[in-house]
Amino acid sequence: MAESKQQMLHLATNDHAVIQVERQVAERSIVVKHMLEDIGDEAVGKEPIPLPNVNEAVLRKVLEWCDHHKNDPPSTGDDDNESRKKTTDIEEWDQKFMQVDQEMLFEIILAANYLDIKPLLDVGCKTVANMIKGKSPEEIRKTFNITNDFTPEEEEQIRRENEWAEDR
Amino acid sequence: LADLLNLCTAQQLSFVHQFVSPLLKKDPFTSLPDELCLRILSFIDDPKVLARASQVSRRWRDLLSDDMTWKNLCVKHDYGRRLSEVYHHSLPMPAAQRPSANAVVLEDAANHSFPGAMGGIYTSSAMNLDVPAVKVRPRSYKSHFKQRYLVEAAWRSGGTSISKNITSDAGVVTSLHLTNKYIIVALDNAKIHVFDTKGTALKTLQGHVMGVWAMVPWDDVLVSGGCDRDVRVWDLNTGACDHVLRGHTSTVRCLKMCDENTAISGSRDTTLRVWDIKTGLCRNVLVGHQASVRCLEIKGDIVVSGSYDTTAKVWSISEGRCLQTLSGHFSQIYAIAFDGERIATGSLDTSVRIWNAKTGEALAILQGHTSLVGQLQMRGDTLVTGGSDGSVRVWSLEKFIPIHRLAAHDNSVTSLQFDDTRIVSGGSDGRVKVWDVKTGQLVRELIQPAEAVWRVAFEDEKCVAMALRQGRTFMEVWSFSPPEDIL
Repeated sequence: MAESKQQMLHLATNDHAVIQVERQVAERSIVVKHMLEDIGDEAVGKEPIPLPNVNEAVLRKVLEWCDHHKNDPPSTGDDDNESRKKTTDIEEWDQKFMQVDQEMLFEIILAANYLDIKPLLDVGCKTVANMIKGKSPEEIRKTFNITNDFTPEEEEQIRRENEWAEDR
Repeated sequence: LADLLNLCTAQQLSFVHQFVSPLLKKDPFTSLPDELCLRILSFIDDPKVLARASQVSRRWRDLLSDDMTWKNLCVKHDYGRRLSEVYHHSLPMPAAQRPSANAVVLEDAANHSFPGAMGGIYTSSAMNLDVPAVKVRPRSYKSHFKQRYLVEAAWRSGGTSISKNITSDAGVVTSLHLTNKYIIVALDNAKIHVFDTKGTALKTLQGHVMGVWAMVPWDDVLVSGGCDRDVRVWDLNTGACDHVLRGHTSTVRCLKMCDENTAISGSRDTTLRVWDIKTGLCRNVLVGHQASVRCLEIKGDIVVSGSYDTTAKVWSISEGRCLQTLSGHFSQIYAIAFDGERIATGSLDTSVRIWNAKTGEALAILQGHTSLVGQLQMRGDTLVTGGSDGSVRVWSLEKFIPIHRLAAHDNSVTSLQFDDTRIVSGGSDGRVKVWDVKTGQLVRELIQPAEAVWRVAFEDEKCVAMALRQGRTFMEVWSFSPPEDIL
């Protein structure tokens, strides 16, 4: 990595925290990267970059991920590449990283989406997808506190409509 | 409120806790925009999971009616192949010109066609050459996925079948075709039986005076030939014989069509004849082989023929002349496949040879069979061969190496066909076996065991087997179509 990349900068959260971070780490976020490009190299580091959609706790968590993955090859932005296809393969460090409470997990997903960090977004989505797998509709509702708003008739109808996918 | 809670006993607090805590829990998906929910769902490739998820709540049901999820699933399950064909097949239809994610136009023809299969198979179980009736039915990806999924499941462990005795004796089935309209069976007793695709008898074509050994359907036309040296052109609609084409001086052993007007026959008299079946005239005689012409295959203006003289020849149909002679086999050639560039030949010398059709150069010798190689089909870069040694072999035409060796039958492999998903083989051991073309695993056995299986043919949702059982010739028709009402 070039020396100039070791530059530090500040990110401001919506709960008024300012976090200092390496430029290379922050640039895992495509949104931040573009903002830095827009303001120009001279201005970088002078003013904190405002991130009005993220709070401190979530941003710290996201930056922890960015720091661990700072040397990953940049994401291609291609949604159809091979790694996206395999659902279950989340690397061990990421699996551990995602062992957080549900609220945090969903906030990480939202933040990754807002900050445009595709690989993190995918890890988050895969984690949730894996929580859905192997569960009955009732178990899914329980897991995520989802209200069953079907009428009994509707529920019976949709159950019949989906019978085809059950093991036969 | 704090004061009030301070006054409460532990028991009361516990009640409050029980009452309040569910209210505090919230559905995290409510904070997620649909786009992110769909992204999560895109990581699920088991339809069962998706089907269950759609039963969770109204929002989930609506999310899962988003067709992109099902489109992705179609791609992941390799059901996408047909979707891309769909556009190609149904181009004249306005609805298909702007295919959208929500409205996939599926034409019946696309469901039933096997591009590539036509060119490759040597046996008479080659796929239909019918020009299908254009019938367009709009379908969502979800419905398409469901249909494909159910068909695949039925191939693995379901399906319905009917079994039918078609002769009073043990007529040998020499040729079988399954088109999207007909099942056509030729016998060594000179008869040709025509059924609809459900197995209901429609016509018996009588006119040949000896065994019928080769036939080829094209839409509502059938061309047949056999021991009586005649080539006959039939109208499958009326059952009438429109032409009797005379010229061969010995048994007609193989027949193919290159367009709706042109049939090419190969004979034991060592020649091939190019016929105009509309006028009933012989357009050309291709002379050059030194012995019986056993098999032929056509692509464009090129016909390739395999002969008992141990050579294969490449001919120009329009010029009526031999372009290449492929020499190398030590014994008779029994099977040939041709994809327009490469030719594969199977021989009594137990080897399979691959040739460059343009240059005549031998590209590879595939060894492994221990007896006559009488069955072969080429499809993309895959070659599947079957031999009198009972084995079925899958080869890579990129690297010219074996991929799978299937101990398929106790005796000869009499019939063989494959597509992107499966291989179906029939053997003189009386069994029909379905194999996974990718893994080489046996998926199932299909028919009631018989004394011998003469011929097998299949397409997406159907399979037909002709077998000898208790001294009689039986036809077993399998259907893997899901019932209409659940689609």
